[in-house]
Amino acid sequence: MTQIALVALIALALVAAATAALLARGRARALARAVAAETARGHGEERARAAEGRLARAEQQLREAQEAARRSVEETRHAEGRYRAAEERSREAESRGRAAEDATREADQRATAAGTRAEEAERRLAAAEAHTAALLAEIGHLAQERVAATAVRLSHANAPLVGPLDPQTVGPEAVRALQSVLDATTAALTDERERVDAAARAAMRGATSRIQTLLYQIQSLVQQLQDDNDDPRLLEVDFRNEVALRRIQTVAVLCEAWPGLARTDSPLAEVVVGALSRVPGYARIKVANHLREQRLAVVARAAEPLAITVAELLANASAYSHPETDIPVTVQQGGRGALVIIDDSGIGMDDDQLRRARRLLAGPPDVLLTELGNPPKTGFAVIGKLARQYGFSCHIEPSPYGGMRTLLRIPAALVTVVDDEQQLSVLTPLPLRAGAGPAPAPTVQAVPPMRDADEGDGPPALADRHNQPGPHPAPAIHVVPDASAGPADPADDGTGLPSRRRRRPLPADGPGAPEAAARPSAGPAEPPVRTPERAAEHWQALQQGTGSGRAAVTQAARETRTNDETGPNGGTSPNDETGPNGGTGATGEPGPTTAARDTGARTTGRPPAPTPEGAEQ
Amino acid sequence: MTAVPRRRMVPAYLATGGRTRPGTAGFDRLTVLFADRAEPPRELEPEHHRLWELLRPGALTVVEAAAHLRLPVSATVFLAADLVEAGCLRARAPIPRAQQTDRSIVERLLVGLRALR
Repeated sequence: MTQIALVALIALALVAAATAALLARGRARALARAVAAETARGHGEERARAAEGRLARAEQQLREAQEAARRSVEETRHAEGRYRAAEERSREAESRGRAAEDATREADQRATAAGTRAEEAERRLAAAEAHTAALLAEIGHLAQERVAATAVRLSHANAPLVGPLDPQTVGPEAVRALQSVLDATTAALTDERERVDAAARAAMRGATSRIQTLLYQIQSLVQQLQDDNDDPRLLEVDFRNEVALRRIQTVAVLCEAWPGLARTDSPLAEVVVGALSRVPGYARIKVANHLREQRLAVVARAAEPLAITVAELLANASAYSHPETDIPVTVQQGGRGALVIIDDSGIGMDDDQLRRARRLLAGPPDVLLTELGNPPKTGFAVIGKLARQYGFSCHIEPSPYGGMRTLLRIPAALVTVVDDEQQLSVLTPLPLRAGAGPAPAPTVQAVPPMRDADEGDGPPALADRHNQPGPHPAPAIHVVPDASAGPADPADDGTGLPSRRRRRPLPADGPGAPEAAARPSAGPAEPPVRTPERAAEHWQALQQGTGSGRAAVTQAARETRTNDETGPNGGTSPNDETGPNGGTGATGEPGPTTAARDTGARTTGRPPAPTPEGAEQ
Repeated sequence: MTAVPRRRMVPAYLATGGRTRPGTAGFDRLTVLFADRAEPPRELEPEHHRLWELLRPGALTVVEAAAHLRLPVSATVFLAADLVEAGCLRARAPIPRAQQTDRSIVERLLVGLRALR
């Protein structure tokens, strides 16, 4: 259209130009004509007028042409405006197209993003599914394996702890959550175990206390029977009963029962020997007593607990060592308190057992019956419990003998010195002196001197003999350091311990009365050694005396001489032995009277031991 | 002895050393024991030595020795049997109850003794 307008415009312009040129040529002709017309003015004027008319017409046409040109210019301008508008429009269209392209590109990008997002979503979904599956597997694993393993672990410290299947897959949060489930389970299980264990302990406590009472009753009955019957099987019954008592006692103590015996302050050596007696195979246990003070004792409240403890340690030592080997036990007196050391040459312990033993010996407050195995190994647990309750301590370590060594330390608070009146059992080992070597033959101090505490008159003859200082002046507890003891003192000056007097163990009118009564009051200057041979000599002398006396009836002259020689001998010798009779009986003929009584026995050549016949007649 | 009875700490069966029967049979309550001159061997337990020392001054019956040692007779027999085996103790059978003495002999003895004056 524009082009069309342009063409029109151009055409118009050309038309205008051609018109102008035509007009110029017309004027020049007019001029030439005017000149010609001058001549022919009239004519010319007419022609001029016609020309003027034509000019006017031409002017009219020019004006029209101008108008047409103006119009065409206008039209051109209008066409230009249109063109500009068209351009504008095309530009707009172009920008729109560009915008459309942009939009398309953006849409493409969005589509791509959406695609990746979709992929990611799929991936996530897959991951979530995998996670869920793993979690389910983990939960199943928890239910089937881990809870069970944790429960087992509670009772068996060495049982393996099962962890999560794949902690990477399920993530730390899930692992934590599962662990919290396990923790809760453990707590619940522990509570339940403790409750059940407490119930079991209570039941055991009830049962053991009754059995313990019965066994004590059996023990005292057996002891009475032992005094009346000489059957050695009663000793064995006693032993079996004692072992049973120990077993019951340990279980009872483990079940928080009281050890079950009220004791007085007990000498430590006796406690150790008493403990030894409760162990099968006690003959293998060799006690070396290194106490400086034999009367060193354990305070009353700790006596039975310590006996139980030592018995358990010894039972362990004997159970885990070869039956042919000895079990040396050393009782020592420390600076404060005392020490019992038990060695065995047994199989020893591995690190695990040692750790467990030490843990139990430390007396942890939370020992359960079910922790001790099946059947329960009660020893260390009982010792730990008692040690915690009573304040002593026990340590275990590998022994130089090859097995284990246990050290029982009794603190000063549990140690005392026993009363003088308390007699030690004859089966208690005597203290060894430092450097004295292996158990020296116990010296006479060990034997109870048969001296009455009440008798204050003069040094008793038998006590003198028994208290002669032996090769090892061990501190003998029996020796009295007071003035009445006489020669007993030198043996014990070094120790300077207060000691006691013995009472006579038998009443004077018992079956053994003649002997027992004769001994204490025998002359101190000449200790009578009563042997059958010597007694026979005495009686022989008497017989000779009487025989010669009869002979004297006929021979008066020699009679007096022989009587002087043999008579006094026959009279004094029996007096050495039968001193009390001489003192209490009539002053006349005590010797011959007893002689006559005993003659029946003597003539048959039997030993002059005390017999019941004295009491019978 | 003190008046308060104590529950025993050291049982008597320790003297048996774990054996069921004594090494030598035939001991009786009234079997007479007397020490030989030989020292008891060192391997024996202290209680053996104590019994031996108890018997060194003179003879005692088993029941008396048991009373002195404060052990039952059955346990003392074990100690005595060990010492007899070791050769440092001798045992004799109990003396049978004496027969009734003939009174006339005693009277005659009395007469004779009076006649000595």
